[in-house]
Amino acid sequence: MKKHPRKSFLERSQMIIYRVEDSILVGLLLFMIFMAVLQIFLRNFFGGGIVWSEVLVRVLVLWVGLIGAMVASRQGNHINIDIMNRYLSGRVKIVVTFVVELFTAVICLIVAYYSLQFVQSEFTYGGESFAKVPIWLCESIIPFAFMVISLRYFLLSFINFKNFIEFRP
Amino acid sequence: MTLYLSALILFFLAIFGTPLFAVILAASILGFHYLGVNLSVIAIEIYRIADTPVLLALPLFTFAGYMLGESNTSHRLVRVTKAIIGCMPGGLAVVAFVACAFFTAFTGASGVTIVALGALLYPALTEAGYRDKFSIGLVTSSGSLGLLLPPSLPLILYGIIAQQMNIGKNVAISDLFLAGIFPALLMVLMLSLYGLWENRRNPIPCEPFSSKDTVAALRESIWEIPLPFFVLGGIYGGFFAITEAAAVTAMYVMVVEVFIYKEIKISQLPSIMRESMIMVGGILLILGVALASTNFLIDAEVPMRLFNLIQAHVTNKIVFLILLNILLLILGAILDIFSALVIMIPIILPVAVNYGIDPVHLGIIFLANMQIGYFTPPVGMNLFIASYRFDKSITELYQAAIPFMIVLLAALLIITYWPALSLFLIQR
Repeated sequence: MKKHPRKSFLERSQMIIYRVEDSILVGLLLFMIFMAVLQIFLRNFFGGGIVWSEVLVRVLVLWVGLIGAMVASRQGNHINIDIMNRYLSGRVKIVVTFVVELFTAVICLIVAYYSLQFVQSEFTYGGESFAKVPIWLCESIIPFAFMVISLRYFLLSFINFKNFIEFRP
Repeated sequence: MTLYLSALILFFLAIFGTPLFAVILAASILGFHYLGVNLSVIAIEIYRIADTPVLLALPLFTFAGYMLGESNTSHRLVRVTKAIIGCMPGGLAVVAFVACAFFTAFTGASGVTIVALGALLYPALTEAGYRDKFSIGLVTSSGSLGLLLPPSLPLILYGIIAQQMNIGKNVAISDLFLAGIFPALLMVLMLSLYGLWENRRNPIPCEPFSSKDTVAALRESIWEIPLPFFVLGGIYGGFFAITEAAAVTAMYVMVVEVFIYKEIKISQLPSIMRESMIMVGGILLILGVALASTNFLIDAEVPMRLFNLIQAHVTNKIVFLILLNILLLILGAILDIFSALVIMIPIILPVAVNYGIDPVHLGIIFLANMQIGYFTPPVGMNLFIASYRFDKSITELYQAAIPFMIVLLAALLIITYWPALSLFLIQR
C-alpha cells in the first residue's frame, strides 16, 4: 500500500482557500455571462430589462478582475518586464527576486490601507449602488484584494529569503 | 534630486521583474504624495473600472478566446481556409496567413496562435515543400498577425483608454474595428506576395480545388463560421452593442464547444475560466492602477510639457511619426502589449493629437508597431515561444523572422503615412 505523506494543517487550509477562491471566481464569471445575456433577451423580446442589471454587471467586472489578480499572485504571475532576470543566476537572482517581491508586498499594503480608509468613509457617507446594495460593499473588494495580494507577495519573498539562507551553490 | 533618484530606482525595479502594476502604483503614490493629495484617491481611480461599461467586453471575449484555443477550432479553421483558398497562387502560405489572422483576432496575440496553429501549419508547410527557414519564420511572425482585426482585445483596450482621456475627439470602439480591417488586409497581402516571390525558384504546386472537400470542411465548421458575422454583423447591423456582442459570443462559444462539438468537457470549464480570468485580472489591475497614474500625469500637465518639448525640436508631423514608430517598435519588443497600451497611450495620445494625428489612426499605428514588436529580435516574446515550441535555437529564429519583419515594416510605413487606408471606412 502506498503511503501518503500527511499534509500539514497549513497546506490543507491553503488548499481549501484556493478552492473557495477558484469557485467564487468561476461563479462570478458565470453569473456575469448569464446576466449579460439575460439582459439582451429581456430587452429584445420583452421591451425592457432589469434596471440595475447594467450596474451589477459592471461591478462584477471589477470583482472578477481583482479576484483574478489575487489568483495570479499565488505564484507571482503578474505582467512584468523580464529582460534582465534571464541573465542572473544563483544567489544574485534569489536576492533580486526577494527585493522585488518584498517591494510589491509593501506597495500593495500601502494601497490596501488607503483604500480601506476610502471604503470606511463611503460606509459613513456613501449611497446605494444598485438594488439597495450599498456602494461601500461593491468597493470593499479593492482593499480586500490588495491585502491578499500583499500577503501573497510577503509569503513569496519569505520563501525566497529561506532559499537564500539554505542556498548551496 | 529625490525625484530623479526615485525614478531611477523604479526603473531598475521594473527591468528586474517587478510586476508592472506595482511599479505604476509606486509612481502614483510618490506623485500624489508630492502633490499633497490623500492616497485614498488611488482607490477611487481603481473603482472607475466599475464605471466603464465597455470593459465588460474584455472578460467575455477573453473567455471566448480561451475556449476556442482549447478546442479543435484551429484544425477546422486550417481545413476550411485550405479548402477555399488553397488553390490560389501562393497556396498554403496564404492559407497560413489568413488562418493565423482570424485566429489571433479572436484569441488575442498571447502566443496561443503559435502554439495552436503553428503546430499544425509548420509541419504542413515543410511537407508541402516550403523551405524550413521560411516556414518557421512564417509561423513565428504570423503569431501576432490579426491584432488589427475585430474583436481583438488590444483594439478594445485602446478604445477604452482613449475614451478616458477627453481629447476632444470621439474614439468609438466600433470605429477602431472598422479602421483595422484594411491595414490588416494590406499586411496579409504583402506577406502573401513575399511568399510568392520567396518561392519563385521553388514553385509549390497548388492544392487542387475539390468541391467535395470544401463542402465537407464547411460542414465540419458550420457552428464556428457564424462567429465573425455575429461580431461584425451584430455590431454594424445595429443589433448589438460591443458588450452585447461579447456576451453572445461567450455564451455561444461555450454552448458550441461543450455541447455540440463536445471537445471541452464540463469538468474542464472551471479551469479554463480560471486561466482566462487570471489573464483578465492581470490586465484589469494594470488598467486600474494606470487610471490613477494617468490622472496624476494630467494634473501635472505632463503630456502638454512633453508636447512643448518635442515641438521645440520636431515641427514636422512626418518626422514625429518616424520617431514614434521607432519608439513603439522598441517598446513593443520589451513590454507586453497590454502594459504598453496602458502606460504609453496616456502620454502619447495627447501629443499625437496636437500634431494633428487622428486618434483612431494613432491606435492602428500603435498596434501595428506592437504586432511587429512581438517578434523583434532580441527579446520579442513570440521568438521565445516559437523557439520553445519548435525546438529551434533562438538565433535560427532571429534569422528566419527578419525577412518577414522587413515586409511588415514596409506595411507599417504605408499604414503610418497613408491615414486614409485606416480612416476611409469611417469617413474622417
